[in-house]
Amino acid sequence: MKRLLALALTLLVLSCAPADKRTHINLQRFFGECGALYGHSIDVAHAEGECGIMTTLINRFNAENPDVHVDVNVVAWPGYAQLSAQIAARDPPDLVTMHQGVLTDYAARGLVEPVEPMLRQAGLKPDDFTDAGRRGVTKNGAMYGVPWDTIGGLFHINTALFAKAGLLRAGKPVLPTSPRELLAQARQFKERTGTPYFIQSEVNDPATQVRNLYTYLLAQDAVIFPDAHHIRLTTHQAKEIVTLFKTINDQHLSTLNQDTPAAINSFLNGQGGIYPTGTWMIGSFQAESETPGRPLYRSYAVFPYPRLWGHPAAFVDGHSWVMPKRKRSPATRAAIARFLAFMAAHNFDWSRTGHVSAMKAVVASAAFKQLPHRADIAPLAEIGRPLPGTIRRQGAIEGILGEELAAAISGQKPVAQALADAERRTNTLLAQLD
Amino acid sequence: MSASRNRMSRPALALVLIGAGIMLAPLLWTLLLSLKSNSALMRSSSTAFHGPWTLENYAAILGNSQVLHWLLNSIIVSLGTTGGVLILCSLAGYGFARLDFPFKRALFLLVLLGLAIPEQAVILPRHRLFAELGLHNSYPGLILPGLVAPFGVFFMTQYFRSIPVELDEAAMLDGASRWTIFWKVLLPLTIPAQSALAVFTFLGSWNDYWWPLISATRSDRFTLTVGLASSQMNYAQTSGLGYLMAQAVFASVPILIVYLVFQKQIVRAMSGAAVR
Repeated sequence: MKRLLALALTLLVLSCAPADKRTHINLQRFFGECGALYGHSIDVAHAEGECGIMTTLINRFNAENPDVHVDVNVVAWPGYAQLSAQIAARDPPDLVTMHQGVLTDYAARGLVEPVEPMLRQAGLKPDDFTDAGRRGVTKNGAMYGVPWDTIGGLFHINTALFAKAGLLRAGKPVLPTSPRELLAQARQFKERTGTPYFIQSEVNDPATQVRNLYTYLLAQDAVIFPDAHHIRLTTHQAKEIVTLFKTINDQHLSTLNQDTPAAINSFLNGQGGIYPTGTWMIGSFQAESETPGRPLYRSYAVFPYPRLWGHPAAFVDGHSWVMPKRKRSPATRAAIARFLAFMAAHNFDWSRTGHVSAMKAVVASAAFKQLPHRADIAPLAEIGRPLPGTIRRQGAIEGILGEELAAAISGQKPVAQALADAERRTNTLLAQLD
Repeated sequence: MSASRNRMSRPALALVLIGAGIMLAPLLWTLLLSLKSNSALMRSSSTAFHGPWTLENYAAILGNSQVLHWLLNSIIVSLGTTGGVLILCSLAGYGFARLDFPFKRALFLLVLLGLAIPEQAVILPRHRLFAELGLHNSYPGLILPGLVAPFGVFFMTQYFRSIPVELDEAAMLDGASRWTIFWKVLLPLTIPAQSALAVFTFLGSWNDYWWPLISATRSDRFTLTVGLASSQMNYAQTSGLGYLMAQAVFASVPILIVYLVFQKQIVRAMSGAAVR
C-alpha cells in the first residue's frame, strides 16, 4: 500500500510540469516532412530543398523567439481537403500555406482574412513584394495572403545539344522570337542532333499546355476571362497558339506520349533540347550539371519562355501565407506578425529552392543573382502574371482546358472545336458559382 | 488416371504460375525501387535492376519521429473498428436471423439499402455532425464511422440463417436462455464468418484514407496512410520515387503479417466458403 502511495505521489509530482507560457501559432503547411534530416537543425544555410529549408527556418524562429512556439502540422499535398474540413469544423490553423490560384476560392467565400493589417503589424509594406507576388494574392483589391514566392514555367535547356545544333551564341542559347522562327530552329535542332527540340510531359499533366496557352495569350494582352463567370477561347489568338502546339507534335519536334517522370528522365539523359517545366526543377537539374559524366554536365541553362507574340509575359502562380478567419488573441496576432517578419527577412533562403523570391529586395540583391541561373530567371518577378483575382476553380478549369488541348494537339479534335468545347465547358462550370 | 491428371494439371499449373508472376511483378518492382536512391531513379528507373541498393529510404521513414505514433494510431483504429464491427454485426445478424420483432423486414431492407449508399454521399453531414460533437481528432471520431457496416450485418445474418434452428430448439429444451443460446451455442459456430469479416474490416480500416484525412487534421492523430502521405515531397513521383515506394512497402508490412496469420480465413472468405 505504501509503495502504491509513493508511486501515486511520484506521478503527481512529475505531472506538475511548469505551465507553458509561450504563445503558440498553429501553422499548417505542405512541402513534405523531413524531421529525420532537419528535425533539430537551425542551420538554414546548409538546408536543401523545400522541406529542409522550411523546417530549419521554423526551427530557427522557435529558437530565436523563446516566448513563441510555432506548432507545425504537415499535411498531405496539397492539403486543401483538410483545410476545408477544418474550416467546416470551425477549427482552422492560424497560418497556412496556399497556392495563390487557390486563394481566390477561399477569399471569395470570406474564409480568409485580408492581411494588410497584419503586414503593418509585421513592419512590412505591400510595396516590399514583387509585382508578380502582389498580383497573385490580391483579390478584389485586397491582399488575402502574404506572398512567399513565384512559381512558373521556364525553358530548361541542354546547352550541349544546342551547341551541336548550332544554336549557341557567346555561350548563350539562341531562342526564337516568333512562331515561324521556333519551328525553323526546332527543325534545324532535330536535323543536327537527331533528338527532338522539345521534351514535354503531356500525359497526366494538364497543367503543361494550359500554362503555355495562358502565357502566350497574356503576352498578347488577350482578355482570357472577360468577367468572373466567362472564359474567352474562341479567338484568333488562341487558335494560332494551339495550332503551333499541334504543329510541333505533328512534325515530331517534341517527344510524344511522355508523363512527367518520363520527361524528366529524358531531359536528364540528354534526349532533347528544351524541357518546358517549372521553377521547382532548377535544383535537381543544376545538381546534374555539376556531376561529371552526366549528359547535362556543364550543359544546363534556364530562361523564362521566349517572346513569340506580343511582349514578354509568363503565367505564374505562387505560394503564400494565409490566415483563415478565426478568433485570435492580440498575443497570437503579435506572434504571427513576428513570424511573418522573420520569414520575410529570410525569404532569400527560400529562393534557393528554385522558386523566384516574392520580395523585391531579394530579387534585386547580389546574393540572389549569384545563385545559379537566378539572374536569368529574375525577370519572372516582373513579367509574371496570374489569372485575374476574381477567377475561382482555377484547378478545375485547368483540368478542362488540359483535356481539350490534349484532344486538339493529338488530332482527336479540330483545334477550333476543342477551343469551343473548352470555352463551353468552362463557362458551364463558372455559371454554377454564385 | 494419375498420369492423365498430371498432364492436365501441368498447363493449369503453368497458367497459375504466369498469373502469380503477373500479380507479383508490380510488388517486386515496388520493392526494388524502394531500395534505390531517389537521385538514381530520377536518371533512370531501370537502375533498380542492378546495384548499388540502399536502405536510406527506409531509414528516412523510420527517422521520422512520428511514424511509430501513426502506426500505433492505425493499429488502435483498425482493431477498434474490427472489434466493434464484430460485436455489432453478430448481434444484429442473430437478431435478424432468429428473432421476430415488428418491422423486421423493413429494417433489414433499410440495412441492405445502406450497401447502395456510397460514403461520398454522407461525408458532408457526417463531418458536420462529428464537428458539432467535438469528435474530430479523436479515436472515437476515427472508429465510429467504420462501425456502420451493412455488409457485415448482411453477412452475419446469412451465416446465422444457415445454422439449423434445431440447435436453438434443443438448447431451449435444456433450459438455455436466448443469450446463452447466442453466446454459447451459435456464436462459436460462426467463427469462420467472424474471421472473414474481421479480416475484411481490418484491411478496409487500415487502408482507409479519405475519412482520416479530413477528420484527423492534427498530426498526432494521423493514421499511417495519412501520415505517410503528409511526409511526401510535392514532386514525390518524380524526385522522390524511392522514398515513395519505401512508404508503400512500409505501409504494406502490417497487412502482409495479417495476411500470413489469417491466410486460411482469407482464402475461405474469398472463395465464398465462409458462407455455407
